[in-house]
Amino acid sequence: MHKTLLTGASALVLSLAATSVFAQDIARGEGDFSWDSLDAFEAEYGDVSGSLKFWTPWNSPEESAQWAAVVSYFEETTGVSVELGSSPNYEEQARIDIAAGSPADITILPQPGLLADFASQGALVELGADSTDWLAENYAAGESWAELGQFEGQDGEVRQYAFPFKQEVKSLVWYSPDNFAEAGYEVPETFEDLLALQDQIKADGGTPWCIGIESGGATGWPATDWIEDIMLRINAPEDYDAWVTNELKFNDPKVVAALDVFGDIVKDDANVAGGTASVATTAFGDSPAGLFTIPPQCYLHKQASFIAASFPADTQAGVDYDFFYLPPYEAHAELGRPVLGSGTLVSITRDSDAARAFIEYLKTPLAHEIWMAQDNSAFLSAHSGVNLDVYSSDALRQQGEILLEATTFRFDGSDMMPGAIGAGAFWSGMVDFVNGLSAQEAADQIQAAWDTID
Amino acid sequence: MVVQVLNAILAVLIALAAALAYFWGTNWLLDKFLKSDNAAESAEADKRRTAVRPWLFLFPALLFLTIYLVYPVFETVRLSLFNSNGSRFVGLSNYWWAFGDGQFRQSLINNFLWLLIVPALSTAFGLVIAVLADRVWWGNIAKSLIFMPMAISFVGASIIWRFVYAYRGPDQEQIGVLNAIVTGFGLPPQNWITMVPWNSLFLMVILIWIQTGFAMVILSAALRGIPEETVEAARIDGANEVQIFFTIMIPQIVPTLTVVWTTITITVLKVFDIVFAMTGGQFQTEVLANLMYSWMFRSGDFGRGSTIAVILMLAVLPIMIWNVRNANREEGTR
Amino acid sequence: MSTVTTSAPMAAAATSQDRPGFFARLRIGRIIANLALLLIVAIWTFPTVGLLISSVRDADQLAVSGWWTALTTSQSQGASRLGAASTQAEEGGLYVISGDIFTDDALALQAVGITSREPGGFAVGDVIEMPQGGELVVSEDGAYRWTSPVAFEFSGAPRVYYVASEPPVFTLDNYVTVLTTDGVGQSFVNSMTVAIPATLVPILIAAFAAYALAWMSFPGRGWLVALIVGLMVVPLQMSLIPILRLYNGIAAPFGGQAQGYLGVWLAHTAFGLPLAVFLLRNYMVGLPREIMESARMDGATHFQIFTTMVLPLSFPALASFAIFQFLWVWNDLLVALIFLGSQDSQLVLTGRLINLIGTRGNNWELLTAGAFISMIVPLVVFFSLQRYFVRGLLAGSVKGG
Repeated sequence: MHKTLLTGASALVLSLAATSVFAQDIARGEGDFSWDSLDAFEAEYGDVSGSLKFWTPWNSPEESAQWAAVVSYFEETTGVSVELGSSPNYEEQARIDIAAGSPADITILPQPGLLADFASQGALVELGADSTDWLAENYAAGESWAELGQFEGQDGEVRQYAFPFKQEVKSLVWYSPDNFAEAGYEVPETFEDLLALQDQIKADGGTPWCIGIESGGATGWPATDWIEDIMLRINAPEDYDAWVTNELKFNDPKVVAALDVFGDIVKDDANVAGGTASVATTAFGDSPAGLFTIPPQCYLHKQASFIAASFPADTQAGVDYDFFYLPPYEAHAELGRPVLGSGTLVSITRDSDAARAFIEYLKTPLAHEIWMAQDNSAFLSAHSGVNLDVYSSDALRQQGEILLEATTFRFDGSDMMPGAIGAGAFWSGMVDFVNGLSAQEAADQIQAAWDTID
Repeated sequence: MVVQVLNAILAVLIALAAALAYFWGTNWLLDKFLKSDNAAESAEADKRRTAVRPWLFLFPALLFLTIYLVYPVFETVRLSLFNSNGSRFVGLSNYWWAFGDGQFRQSLINNFLWLLIVPALSTAFGLVIAVLADRVWWGNIAKSLIFMPMAISFVGASIIWRFVYAYRGPDQEQIGVLNAIVTGFGLPPQNWITMVPWNSLFLMVILIWIQTGFAMVILSAALRGIPEETVEAARIDGANEVQIFFTIMIPQIVPTLTVVWTTITITVLKVFDIVFAMTGGQFQTEVLANLMYSWMFRSGDFGRGSTIAVILMLAVLPIMIWNVRNANREEGTR
Repeated sequence: MSTVTTSAPMAAAATSQDRPGFFARLRIGRIIANLALLLIVAIWTFPTVGLLISSVRDADQLAVSGWWTALTTSQSQGASRLGAASTQAEEGGLYVISGDIFTDDALALQAVGITSREPGGFAVGDVIEMPQGGELVVSEDGAYRWTSPVAFEFSGAPRVYYVASEPPVFTLDNYVTVLTTDGVGQSFVNSMTVAIPATLVPILIAAFAAYALAWMSFPGRGWLVALIVGLMVVPLQMSLIPILRLYNGIAAPFGGQAQGYLGVWLAHTAFGLPLAVFLLRNYMVGLPREIMESARMDGATHFQIFTTMVLPLSFPALASFAIFQFLWVWNDLLVALIFLGSQDSQLVLTGRLINLIGTRGNNWELLTAGAFISMIVPLVVFFSLQRYFVRGLLAGSVKGG
């Protein structure tokens, strides 16, 4: 206890900014949480000491506070002092730190493609086969999640290098139930209905969509999600898989068709709040704000589950905002209900007992439950041992159901493409597309970049 | 936090003490060991001491420069001949790639435009302001205010100008000054940052805003150095102010104008923060320094990143040689 | 050159007396000069003034109106939830739901509405037919009364919208927020920690080298000066990765970290050296040769001359370089980002601002406050030491300064 206090105090001196790390809003032993798993963890790892530096994609004040809450229980039980870090350009910074040979101890990224690069450079520490087995046993659809974290190491051998933690559903459209009710709009069941709703909103004098794709060094990624979701709705899942590995060329008509569907939506000034011109300079986290203004600047916002963390603090899931599943085309009924998902992967970039212990901590249901229970949380867990009652809202539970009802589940394609494409040419290609390139030109440009990587 | 700053001050004291100890100590050693009582040998030792001493004075600075600036130049050239993670020699293929790459050519063109516009406009504005400020009683206040942006970081300046360029849809109230003016005239608001090709110009405005003060200060001093008699003589001959400006003043400050122009040119070539903070190189505003950063750190390709760095350095080379020759000429006249 | 020997002002006075037309011309010229300069100064300061004003405005007002309207009353639209059906009370045969739509008393109600599309569709005091049944009346102070002859049966709590005007509000809350929750305070300290040693350490090293280059004769001196001038234009971006790898090669065997303050200090010292040596050498060359030579005659060593004479005499140049280097280090983004890292506790102000742009891109009240905090120190340094700064610029650019 004394140790905790001391490290806590020194960390406080070091980092005023990270004071929220130490705020625990859920008292130990209270509520329906799996406290016994924490007790068991403490019994085994309570003596681990040292310090851990984290590098994560969670850079908004809201998400970083939620993540800090998860870490705080690890800190309390082990006495390891932690330091959290993130930035809007987290991919670049992770690369800089790894290239310099001074990465954080734990690096968490949403891009398997990027982690694969790092693994091939020998920058990641192997987690071991028992982690693979544990994931297969304890995560729903565990083997596929485990595979997501398996990469070729420096020697070309495939091993478990990353541990998936925090899953997201990307195929969601957010709206305000009040605005829908007042205007008499219904949640669309098919993509055709969605487009009809879009036209209805315009006819009523409103603006259907809020779209923002600005994201610092990663500007353009929200548009790649659109393309991926549309790909799954007009092409077979096999085509999607081939596209991710470039067996299906980026400028193939099938891909260009997906770009065109998105283009028809985004390139019509009347469809987007602020007009098409504003899309590339509106931060993705700011873009949903238009749903909540009075009068509303827009009625629809497509974004992954995590966006709920960016909604105004005084809004409540299910009351002030709600979501629906981005529906499939009636014309492509054979494709079923495809779902696009993503998730973050935890990797050890500096080996230590404390880092190993942290991976073990993530295996406790409690580590998941803490985040599930945070206000405005957007945390979904594939861990089958967690108590679903602790989800902070019914909305999250429903998102979990969308994940379960999916007839086709695919991981975010851009995140699995090679870094130079999935975190480079695809992003900038989307920006150029939104700002004027035709679908064919944009697709050609991205394919050309893919042709130059070896 | 206070501890942190105290540590920094402690570090200063330690560093200064160490530096002094080095300079004093080596001098003492030099005097002690290269000394002789024999008259003939003494002259010889004196000579040797005179030969060694400058290098003792220079050593720390040269060590720093070698490690931090000279070595990286060679290392970067080496890396540019290797593949993305430096494991395989690829010859000049990164250079072939660069000149075939659309984005690279775009950056070259943009850098060229920056080079053409920013130094010229900064120098011109600086000169005009320097002339005007000498003519009004509140000239020094005006100069201070125009000089002020020099103290602001590129990132801070970028925030200031992001706010000036802020864009909102036509149906909303504009909070950016520029769009407020435009809509005030009844025109539709524009998203300046994405307006190809004018957006590059809007980024250049930021650097002009910063650098004009620099040009103004230097040129103002140069203008004051012009002998008043020559100006008066022209005035008596019936020349008007504009004629005096172009035929008397400008020719006399040409050397200073070139110095100002080159100094700003060097800053422009290395421009990074502004593009990084404003657009990240999107919307066809990419410049070499930012492109290099992107390839190195976003795509993790050290071969291509280094290649761009080498090309950037080659672009600076002519100015560097010019600068060196200037310095050498000075050396010669002394 | 010319034979005129009178001082300039006198000459001007003489000519204006000789030729009456000149005075008038001068006046018009003066007016034009004043106006032109005024316009330029206005354009130059406008953006910064906007930043300063915005940083003390209320966030909600800033979001809906330009900073030049800061002193006028602003209009805002809002929404408030009416009581749920469960809160109804029966009063003499009428079912009533009542309450207050305002939580903020500074607002003056102008209009109300029942759809978000028309938040001001009804005047205050109008009887509004509700789609859920019954009639709603909102009075000027925000109190509402929703009555119905039959019991209310609806789910949830319907929203009522309003248009209200609000007097201008100025606040320092933005500063408090960025300093604490957004970590600008910590970054401020970090910037200080980086800047103080990185400014002072290179001075002594550069001064010795500059003295050697200015007053000692040895073979290769010209080449060294050329090399240092040449190094001034090396893009420092290319040094970053090689140096970081070097650091790591040194630190790793000892279990240390490549990133840290020591590394940043050394890097900034090195990157500042070419300019420092160049500036100081230029200044020292201009020191009077006779003093040096007479001291040499008296048997003083170079070391003694340097410490007792040159260093004190060079104070103005040292000060101007210090200001230069301080501004450069304080305003640097890249070196700190790479050599210090971007963990929360390590970010310097520029890096923090870049993060703010990313996470708070539309929260202009926070961005402007953060930017202003980052500007305070350099502006104070700049305005208080402007004289030295200018002198340093001149020494570096105009020969002999």
